[in-house]
Amino acid sequence: MIDGIFAGLKVLELGGGAAGPISTRYFADQRATVVRVESVRRPDFLRLLHWKPGTPGGVDASLHFACLNANKRSVALDLTLAEGRAVARRLALWADVVAESFAPGTMARWGLDWPSLAGDRPDLVMVSTCLYGQTGPEREYAGFGGQGSAIAGFNHLTGWPDREPVGPFGAITDSLSPRAAALLVGTALLHRRRTGRGRHVDLSQVEVGVYCLAEATGTFDANGTVLGRMGYRSPHAAPHAVLPARGDDRWVTVVCHDDEDWRRLRAALGDPDWARDPELDTVSGRLARADDVEARLADWTRERSPGDIAEHLQANGVEAGIVADFGDLHEDPQLAFRAHFRRLAHPVIGEHAVETGAIRFSDAADREPARAPLLGEHTEEVLCGLLGMSGDEYRALDAKGVLR
Amino acid sequence: MDERDLAGVRVLDLADEPGFLAGRLLGDHGADVVKIEPPEGHPVRRRPPFWGGVSDPERGLAWLAQNTGKRGITLDLSRPRGRDLFLALVEHADVVLASGRPGDLAAIGVAGDVLRARNPRLIVCTITPFGTAGPRSDWRASDLTALAMGGNLRPTGDPDRPPIRCRLPAAYFHAGLEAAVGIVFALYARENTGRGQDVDVSLQEVMLMPNISLAAQYATTGFRGARAGAGYRVGDTFQREIWRCRDGWVTFALRGGAARIPGLIALVAWMAEQEMAPPCLSERDWRTYNHNLLSESEVDEMSDAFAAFFSTRTRAELYAAAVERKLMLAPVNDARSIGESEQLAAREFFVELGYPHSADLGGVLRHPGAIAKLSSSTLTPALRAPRLGEHNAAIYREIGLGAAEIARLAEEGVV
Repeated sequence: MIDGIFAGLKVLELGGGAAGPISTRYFADQRATVVRVESVRRPDFLRLLHWKPGTPGGVDASLHFACLNANKRSVALDLTLAEGRAVARRLALWADVVAESFAPGTMARWGLDWPSLAGDRPDLVMVSTCLYGQTGPEREYAGFGGQGSAIAGFNHLTGWPDREPVGPFGAITDSLSPRAAALLVGTALLHRRRTGRGRHVDLSQVEVGVYCLAEATGTFDANGTVLGRMGYRSPHAAPHAVLPARGDDRWVTVVCHDDEDWRRLRAALGDPDWARDPELDTVSGRLARADDVEARLADWTRERSPGDIAEHLQANGVEAGIVADFGDLHEDPQLAFRAHFRRLAHPVIGEHAVETGAIRFSDAADREPARAPLLGEHTEEVLCGLLGMSGDEYRALDAKGVLR
Repeated sequence: MDERDLAGVRVLDLADEPGFLAGRLLGDHGADVVKIEPPEGHPVRRRPPFWGGVSDPERGLAWLAQNTGKRGITLDLSRPRGRDLFLALVEHADVVLASGRPGDLAAIGVAGDVLRARNPRLIVCTITPFGTAGPRSDWRASDLTALAMGGNLRPTGDPDRPPIRCRLPAAYFHAGLEAAVGIVFALYARENTGRGQDVDVSLQEVMLMPNISLAAQYATTGFRGARAGAGYRVGDTFQREIWRCRDGWVTFALRGGAARIPGLIALVAWMAEQEMAPPCLSERDWRTYNHNLLSESEVDEMSDAFAAFFSTRTRAELYAAAVERKLMLAPVNDARSIGESEQLAAREFFVELGYPHSADLGGVLRHPGAIAKLSSSTLTPALRAPRLGEHNAAIYREIGLGAAEIARLAEEGVV
């Protein structure tokens, strides 16, 4: 068992929000050294998400930031100053991987884009992530994940057919694109290992989303059909439902993929009369009477707890699940088995939980997470310790206000 | 010579729908992804909608869309001869990608350990509902249940109705990407260790991260999540994020901190030009604006003004202005409008792949191309989705089978 796939790898991260920091966690969790460049003048959007004047602990009190930035170090640098950019350049040339999520053109203006760095470090891997990519007429159009999800087409596909679109919870391009970024940095590192050459990766969050939704664009291209919203239902399976369970806002899923599943469900329910209707023996019959089938099932589920329903149906070979709230996840025995949540102590926030990814390697131990950094917490340690800056230079930069 | 990053990497792809995307991604990177189907074909081939509207296993659009970049063979793994052929293929492979339930591979005698006895460098990646071990590892879950058990379903939808999902399987998209990450990381590790390993991806667990840490935050905040429909709850207020316009919907938000404020100012300026900015917007001091401090009546007043303005404009008009004036407002695209995007066209995002066996329908389908632009190497589907058993002859020949033997296996129903 090796101790981290990327032990010794140096990653520099510039930019805030969710998508960039989630992507570098993959490397941090495999023991890469990840250094974030942050600004005191213009703190990361996540550090301010719930900020109000007088928030104790200020920008270090953001739980949102702390949860997404475990295992990283923070250097404070004012990139609006030439001296700040010069330090950032030295950090970039120190790194093996630079991950940035500024608006397109920002890094070039600062002399920190890949062509400017690759002359000195031809083996540098750099990933630029933004809404629309680094090229094209709308590249400067800026946005958050909520816009990415809408532009890529997820919102249109998520909602009730008789109502407005709502979109999947959590701005889905903010969770798809970091996974894509981790993949593309991984393949760039493989390429580098074999050829000695680095690479620039230009990642568009919208394109990642559209890539996933290939069936929607393909169906339109082939047949001129625009797929629409279906609530919780599927065009291919019935029941494919979210049903009420006992309690306030408690729900369960029940899915029959085929007729055999339906027979198992019937048996699990004690073979009630209504379900013996031969019309319901086929998927097409159940799809045609989905309202009726769901209402009958709801009469049964409404009396029972989500856990009892799921246990009982799963024991009978039927797909069913607890519609978990965020609290339930902390009591989920399967997630506990995989040690999904880890607890750590933060000097401002106190003890809190962080999450791990969804991969377990049989031959690589994942790292016990260290808490997220305070803003600028590691400036001296990184500049003097890792970069080899002299104490005199460090103090001079600090006195000029560059290190904030 | 193919210089793509994963050129020379052979992937034996046994995966069902949860793993379709992973194989696609690896194929785009140049891996030789060999999709292994049962002799009658993968069931998704027979899922509507069909290209041209007529049921045909070579024209299922769900199949075609998610299986580009792969070659295809048939093999009946439930038979001993099929299993032997699979083991022979494994000797020339780098990766086995599978989905299904834990134990599915062991049940047919091809668990990771067995395979690595043949090929110690083999990486075996499984996408299972809940992971390969643990108290619920034998539970079933497809997209809907993975979303539910991962905590992402309950906060999706309207407060007065049950939770809902994206109509296409978001859990499979997350899992496909995660599996590709795991495989590439394991390939990187193998460069150092010389060994393969098992890569265990849980469909449930991939759906926690899309909650963007709110699940972890519960331990501190006690916030269990709630559906807010087309917007967000901020304190006691509902802040709308999806707005009706003249011909559809757009997204726009009041939140977003310092990065949002220039967009709000620019939108209000545009509304003022049209004499549609009431004092609650035109007289606001944006320097001190903080969406966390808005009262319910302030939110309502501002929202009514934005809603009234958006309803006078089309999605295209609003988006054109958003690009020009940097409004941070976006169209809620459907497949038609995303296909018309000038931005994607300028980046040559979509590529056309030829389907000669569907020449009667034009023989060409447009697919998403590269998932990113690279400064070196290429990244794009070089292959259309395979026909059933299209590459049987080529691939079985590689492991030493002659034409007569392949024909006999076909007769016996093994391939």
